[in-house]
Amino acid sequence: MKTIICTSLALALTGSVAFAQDTVPQASSQWYKDGEAAIQALLARQPNTNRAKNVILLIADGNGVGTNYATRLFDGQQKGMLGEENVLPYETPDFHSALVKTYNINAQTPDSAPTAGSMNTGVKQRFNLINLGEEAIHDDCSTVAGNELTVFSELMTEAGKSVGVVSTARLTHATPAAVYAKTANRNWEDAVPEGCTAQKDIATQLIDAMEAGTVDFAMGGGGRYFLPKDKEMGGLKGRREDNVDLVERATGLGAQFATDTAGFKSLKLDGSSPVLALFNSSHMEYEADRAEDDEPSLADMTKAAIEYLSKNEDGYYLEIEAGRVDHGNHAGNAARALRDGVAFVEAVAMADELTNDEDTLIIVTADHEHAIAFNGYCGRGSAILGLCYDVAQKGIKHSDKVLTADDGKPYTVIGYLNGTGSVLKKGEGENDYTGSRPELDQETATDLDYIQQALIPKSSETHSGEDVAVYAKGPWAHLVDGTIEQNVIFHVMNHAVNAQ
Amino acid sequence: MNRRQLVAGLGLAPLAWYLLPETAGAKEAPLKLRTLYNKDRSFSDLAHSLEGTRVSVGGYMAPPLKADSQFFVLTKIPMAVCPFCETEAEWPRDILAVYTKRIVDVVAFNSKIVTRGVLELGTFKDPETGFVSRARLSDAVYERA
Repeated sequence: MKTIICTSLALALTGSVAFAQDTVPQASSQWYKDGEAAIQALLARQPNTNRAKNVILLIADGNGVGTNYATRLFDGQQKGMLGEENVLPYETPDFHSALVKTYNINAQTPDSAPTAGSMNTGVKQRFNLINLGEEAIHDDCSTVAGNELTVFSELMTEAGKSVGVVSTARLTHATPAAVYAKTANRNWEDAVPEGCTAQKDIATQLIDAMEAGTVDFAMGGGGRYFLPKDKEMGGLKGRREDNVDLVERATGLGAQFATDTAGFKSLKLDGSSPVLALFNSSHMEYEADRAEDDEPSLADMTKAAIEYLSKNEDGYYLEIEAGRVDHGNHAGNAARALRDGVAFVEAVAMADELTNDEDTLIIVTADHEHAIAFNGYCGRGSAILGLCYDVAQKGIKHSDKVLTADDGKPYTVIGYLNGTGSVLKKGEGENDYTGSRPELDQETATDLDYIQQALIPKSSETHSGEDVAVYAKGPWAHLVDGTIEQNVIFHVMNHAVNAQ
Repeated sequence: MNRRQLVAGLGLAPLAWYLLPETAGAKEAPLKLRTLYNKDRSFSDLAHSLEGTRVSVGGYMAPPLKADSQFFVLTKIPMAVCPFCETEAEWPRDILAVYTKRIVDVVAFNSKIVTRGVLELGTFKDPETGFVSRARLSDAVYERA
C-alpha cells in the first residue's frame, strides 16, 4: 500500500511539473532548458560503490571558494568567454561536492600544515604543526614522542599501494610534508633545534620514507634542504648546515633524480625505482614566470606521477599540490595566483583524463581561503583582474563606464582585506599609517605585477577561516556532501579504499 | 607622468628627495623590471640593448639595511624585508640593485617608485655589503610613481 501511495505521489508531482513546463512563459528560455538539463544530469547520477584502487587528492593551496571563483572567471576569460559562465573540470555534475570547515584545533584561521595533516590522518591538528596528536605543542620537540599519528600514505603502503607526492612548492613545505612527515614545527624543513632527538627534519623524513617504501615518487621544489650548504648541483644550491647530502643518499638507495625539464623527460616511469625530482632550490616558479625548458608544468608532473604509480597493480595514493596559488594571494598579486589556479585546473583535467572512474577516487579541494574579496556592482565580463565596469542596461556585456568609488577613483573587481597593497602607508619616521587610494587605469590593474588594493597594512596578506569547497569523483565520491569538517576528507578516502 | 602628477610630486616631496631630471628619457613610460629578464633568468634583448644607457624602471624599494646608504634593491612587487636581514626571504630573481647619486631617503616598501640610472649588466659583488647583483642601476635617482 505504501508503495502505491508513493508511486501515485510521484506521478502527481511529475504531472504538475509537466503542466508548469507547458505554461510558464520562460519555458523556451535557454536558461530554463539548461536548468532542466542540470536536473536530468543529477537524476542520472548513480552512486559508485566500488572499492577504490587509486586515490588522487588534488589540493590548490589557498584556493577557497572566493579564489576558485576568480580562477573560474580568469580561465573563462582567457578562453574568450565573458567568464562567469565558465565551468571548471571539477564543477560538472560528474563531481559531487561539499563545503569544508578548515579551522585548526586552536586556530580560527588555519595554516597549511594542520589542514593538510587533517586530510592525511583523519583528525584535526594544532596550528603550525604536522601530523601530531592534539596533545602535541607547536615548536616543542618534547611533545613529539607518543603523539605521532599514522598517515594515509603508511596505510596505503601497508595495503600494497604505491605513494606519490607532487607540489609546485618545496617538497618540505606544509602540504606535501603532510603526506610523509610528523613534526612539531612546519618550519623544521632542514634542521631541528639542538637537542631535539624525537624527530628529524622534514627533508630527512622524506628520504627516510623513500627508504622505508612509504613514498615512491616525489616531485617539486625545495632542493636547498636536500643538499649540503653551498653545494651546487643542477642549478640547485644547498643550505643544509649539517652538510648531509640527502640527494646522494636517495640515489644511493636507487632513486632516480632530476633537476630540470630535460632530466624530467628522461625519467624511467616503469615503477622499478623511486623518483626524486627537485626543480628549484626553493619553490618552483610561478606558472607566469616558468620557463618550459627549466621546469615541467603541474599537469606534466601529474601525468608522469600517474604513469609511474599506475604500474602498481594494487593501486596508489597520490597527493598533488598547486602550492603557489597561496603565494600569489599572500603577495596580493592576484594575477599570479590565478595563473597558478589555471595550472591547477589543468592538472585536475589531466588526472581525470588518465584515470578510470570505476577504480579511482579523485578529490579536488583547497586547504584554506585567503583574505580575498570582490567588489560590486560589476557588469558581466568585467575582467576579473581588472577594473569594475558598470552593468549595461541593454545586452549582456558590461558597459564602457568604469565604476568609481565615493573618492572618484576606479577600483578593481578583486581586493584584499589586508596585505602589502594596503592604501594606508607609513612614511619614514612617521607614526601613523595614512593614505588614500591611488589613481588606477585598466592597463595598470591588469599588469602581471599589479598588487590589488588592500585595507589593513601587513607585510604579507593572510589566510582566512572562510570555507573551501571539495569536489569528488569515482568510488564513494557521493560521500562528499553537505558541510563537512576537513578531516572527513580522509575518512572518505579511507572508506573508499576499504569498501567491501 | 603627466604634468599634474609632477606638480603634485613636487609639492609633496620632502626636501631631501632628488627628482628625476626633465630629460626626454625621463618622460617615457618606465620599463617594467621583468622585461629586463627572460624566463630562464638570462638578460632579455631589451636589457642588452639598453646596457650602459640611462633608463627608467618602475618597482618598489626594499627596506634598506642601514641608514644613510646609497644603495637599495628595486623589486617588481613589494618585499617587506631587506635582503640582508632575512636570509629565509623568498626573493624574486628579477631584482635590480640600485646605486644612488645621493643618500637614500627611504620610501615605504609598498609605495611604487620610478628609478632612473645607468643600466649595468653582469655579476658584481659589492665590496662593502657583500651583496651580489646581476644587474644594477648606477648614478641613480628616484621618485614616487
